[in-house]
Amino acid sequence: MANLNIDSIKERTFDAIVIGSGMSGGWAAKELTGNGLKTLMLERGRDVKHIKDYPTTNMYPWEFEHRGVIPTAVQEANPIVNRCYAFREDAEHFFVKDHEHPYVQEKPFDWIRGYQVGGKSLMWARQTQRWSDFDFEGPARDGFAVDWPIRYKDIAPWYSYVEKFAGIAGNKDGIPELPDGEFLPAYPLNDVEEYFSKHVKNNYQNRHVISARCAHLSKPNQVHIDQGRTQCQNRILCQRGCPFGGYFSANASTIPWALKSGNLTLRPFSVVQSIIYDDKLGKATGVRVVDSNTKETIEYFARIIFVNAAALNTNLVLLNSTSSRFPNGLGNDSGVLGKYFAFHNYSAHIGAQYDGFKDLTTDGRNPAGGGYIPRFRNVYKQETDFLRGYASGFSAYRFRQHKYDGVGAALKENMVKGDLGPWYVGSHMMGETIPKESNYVKLDASKKDEWGVPLLNINVDYDDNDEKMKKDYIEQLTKMFTSAGFTNIKPSVNHQAPGLDIHEMGGARMGNDPKTSILNKWNQVHACKNVFVTDGACMTSTSCQNPSLTYMALTVRAADHAVSEMKKGNV
Amino acid sequence: MNRRTVIKNLALIVGGAALLPSCVHPDGTTYIQLKHINISSDKQKLIGDISETIIPKTTTPGAKDLNLPAFVLKMLDDCYTKKDQQAFLTGLGQFNEMVQKKYNSSFSDLSATARENVLTTLEKSTKPAKDPQKAIKPVRESEKSIDAPKKKPEVPPLNFFYGAIKQQTIFGYTNSQYFMTKQVVYELVPGRYNVHFPVKNLKA
Repeated sequence: MANLNIDSIKERTFDAIVIGSGMSGGWAAKELTGNGLKTLMLERGRDVKHIKDYPTTNMYPWEFEHRGVIPTAVQEANPIVNRCYAFREDAEHFFVKDHEHPYVQEKPFDWIRGYQVGGKSLMWARQTQRWSDFDFEGPARDGFAVDWPIRYKDIAPWYSYVEKFAGIAGNKDGIPELPDGEFLPAYPLNDVEEYFSKHVKNNYQNRHVISARCAHLSKPNQVHIDQGRTQCQNRILCQRGCPFGGYFSANASTIPWALKSGNLTLRPFSVVQSIIYDDKLGKATGVRVVDSNTKETIEYFARIIFVNAAALNTNLVLLNSTSSRFPNGLGNDSGVLGKYFAFHNYSAHIGAQYDGFKDLTTDGRNPAGGGYIPRFRNVYKQETDFLRGYASGFSAYRFRQHKYDGVGAALKENMVKGDLGPWYVGSHMMGETIPKESNYVKLDASKKDEWGVPLLNINVDYDDNDEKMKKDYIEQLTKMFTSAGFTNIKPSVNHQAPGLDIHEMGGARMGNDPKTSILNKWNQVHACKNVFVTDGACMTSTSCQNPSLTYMALTVRAADHAVSEMKKGNV
Repeated sequence: MNRRTVIKNLALIVGGAALLPSCVHPDGTTYIQLKHINISSDKQKLIGDISETIIPKTTTPGAKDLNLPAFVLKMLDDCYTKKDQQAFLTGLGQFNEMVQKKYNSSFSDLSATARENVLTTLEKSTKPAKDPQKAIKPVRESEKSIDAPKKKPEVPPLNFFYGAIKQQTIFGYTNSQYFMTKQVVYELVPGRYNVHFPVKNLKA
């Protein structure tokens, strides 16, 4: 019996454990297994194998029972996830339904989740821009949060490393506040986007409209072909999973690569309850998992642990990992765990028309979605009554306009015929929010989920800075649109709750000082060096770039450090 | 092949309404067993006739050829709130009364021209039908924030009834396999993005 037990522990012991299999967890697994570490990847949801488990990927519109529309009963049962733009009949199976994992909204918060192998990397919007020192130095310069413990030079080579493997389409634009990367050919701007780009360049200092940089294989290199991926076919059905591997996802890229090494054990249906901390050894020794099918509790052991459960669940796991050394959550000597939580402000949009380029249109589809306007507010100096700024999407498009009045043969004709309408242009804001102590998540005092884990209690809201920034976005974009000769300019604001941006960040922030942060400059828990947190939870500030590329770069950098520290015997 | 198999295969060909259990009305019309509302075979026939008047068979297939009445019913059954389903049924009753009163006949017994007249007259008393494509959520991240909360304006039941049939008939028609392969060809795999495309090179 004793021997059996030893064997069982042996079978449950690995060099490394990665909690989560999405955007950042996939990279952790790829890097750790690539360095010869026997790695266990834990995923709370089901397995999703590349291509094989994309049931809708090759379906035509008419093959969907409701032609894409989510039935009312499902909408009414899922008010939260139903607000997500991608929750449609073709991809609804990749989204967590509201009842599947409840949480407490002290203030309204739309928590959009994908519990499956690959996580949200299957359905993400694929926009990938680097941060610069204007971002990393933000908190120190503007006096909020804490100073980032790293600068651009620390992460730049890792951005390159990630970009080469993932495949990022973009131009070298030479903009200091949005550093260039290792790019595949960009998806070009169309004529109206290009016109606006030139207009802005000629009329504004330090404002740019560039091709959006995105994780699509516009022209694959050998390393992408080696992953079994091929050129993006401009389907723009990415949220279904791509049979070509045309965009980057953990399913198409990092996880199969890690599996090929022979060093990865992938365990779906594994809800992590907590990380096990050994007071005597003074380090984490493993994780406690509930098998979501059998409800059995199982412990796994490893020398190092990467926490990549996605920002909110990572906070949940850390807060729930209590011991006599850490009664308030793993590594939470400072008391800041769960606090300084932030997100992106996506609450404004502006649309207009342009009467030029009547003889031109586009043909096919643009995976990049159009243009991107990097942050131009408060970049070189503070110039407004709010802190920080916003990036903006920008795109132009036109389409046939059909007449739908009347009935009969004429109506049928009109479904086919229809004049090409004018060019429409649109932009949406992506604003930085300021992490604050009063925006926090914590464990609910009484309610638990079906796996015995306390519910997450979320208390996050907008503030005055966000309101002022939104107003400025509308003013500035209106001016830029007006001076470009756009007409029928229609700004609009929405009142979406935080969370629907799906860029939740922070709670276990990086910092130099263990008294005010949870993680050090290598994403190691200050007080428990063999635990690494490299997903959105680690973010000290949010800047306004889409964050996934930065999570990926931080992950490979931390994994490299972890391997080197293991070799030195430091962890 | 038995009848069920025939119906199933036919439904698979025209898509969508594929797996609905179907029955046959004494007059030979196939009708649909709905899950959430009760619509008798007579009323289903009326919906089918309105649908066919909106998209009639001409030299090309009409609503019934493309199984659109079943699609309209399916959408009504699955994708409308209880309140809207109730409004639809109220409107259906009012529609029958209105036609009986005005034309001294049931809609189905009217000539094709008279049917068109009934519908165009009714349509003029209400707003033009919405672009059914706009019922679809935008796919781009850039457009997600403009997705305003769904708020349907209060429409009189009669107009709601007709508007719903028209919207779903058009939605079903423009998303049918026939339309998307023979009329305006849908490309699952475009494989290109041309940014400077002359309008004169567009097809049709």
